[in-house]
Amino acid sequence: MRLEICSFSGSKIYPGHGRTFVRGDSRIFHFLNSKTESLFHQAKNPRKIAWTVVYRGLHRKGISEEVAKKRTRRAVKYNRAIVGVSWEAIQSRRSEKPEVRAAARTAAITKAKEAKKTVAAEKAKANKQNKPQVSKTQAKPHSRPVRR
Amino acid sequence: MIQMNSRLLVIDNSGAIVAQCIKVLKSAKWASLGDEIVVSIKSARTATDTTLANKVKKGDVRRALIVRTKKEIARPDGRFIKFDDNACVLLNSQGQPIGSRILGLVSRELREKNWIKVVSLAPKVI
Repeated sequence: MRLEICSFSGSKIYPGHGRTFVRGDSRIFHFLNSKTESLFHQAKNPRKIAWTVVYRGLHRKGISEEVAKKRTRRAVKYNRAIVGVSWEAIQSRRSEKPEVRAAARTAAITKAKEAKKTVAAEKAKANKQNKPQVSKTQAKPHSRPVRR
Repeated sequence: MIQMNSRLLVIDNSGAIVAQCIKVLKSAKWASLGDEIVVSIKSARTATDTTLANKVKKGDVRRALIVRTKKEIARPDGRFIKFDDNACVLLNSQGQPIGSRILGLVSRELREKNWIKVVSLAPKVI
């Protein structure tokens, strides 16, 4: 079933409520209750009656709170430097081309790999020199795992 | 809510303008939409008003069908509907409309009461 709108007050008319009036010129009016119907037949202007939807729309009633809410919600976006990096540096990094970035990345990787290699080699050398001399005879009794 | 002495507009081209109820043709005090009544024609168009010959004249007694009432009527969906005036169309003894045209809107209740001919002549059914 369809919801009607009151021809005078502008409010919704739910099923089982209200009354329909067909004027002589075959225009149809729906009224929510006898109050609106009576005011209509007294030829009152809904623009001058404070509780109607038309009046509230004209006088901006119940709109100000909504506007205020919207303003607080809006996120402001602006540019600034972060900790140690200046804004220009950030922008230059942002505008880098992907090829340049990839090249820089591969260079960094190879460099890191080489550094790791040299460190490992040095470590191995040091280990060889500092390895404790363990006699074979002493190691023997502990070579077999003990069963429990 | 049409009872004895109620005045109704006649909205067909039979020539009558105002009719007065002189009998409600059912065992109730008053008649409503889709009910048949007996009327006396109180005023009719004069012959000079129109080129067509009037089918009725002042003082005639005819049957009539109520098509609009000021008293609101309940619809099955829970709504109430009412009209601006009381109106009728004139019928002959067989229950057929005297006029060949209906000049205003009629209520949907007529269809439920099987006044098919009147409904089909009406320009608008509400």
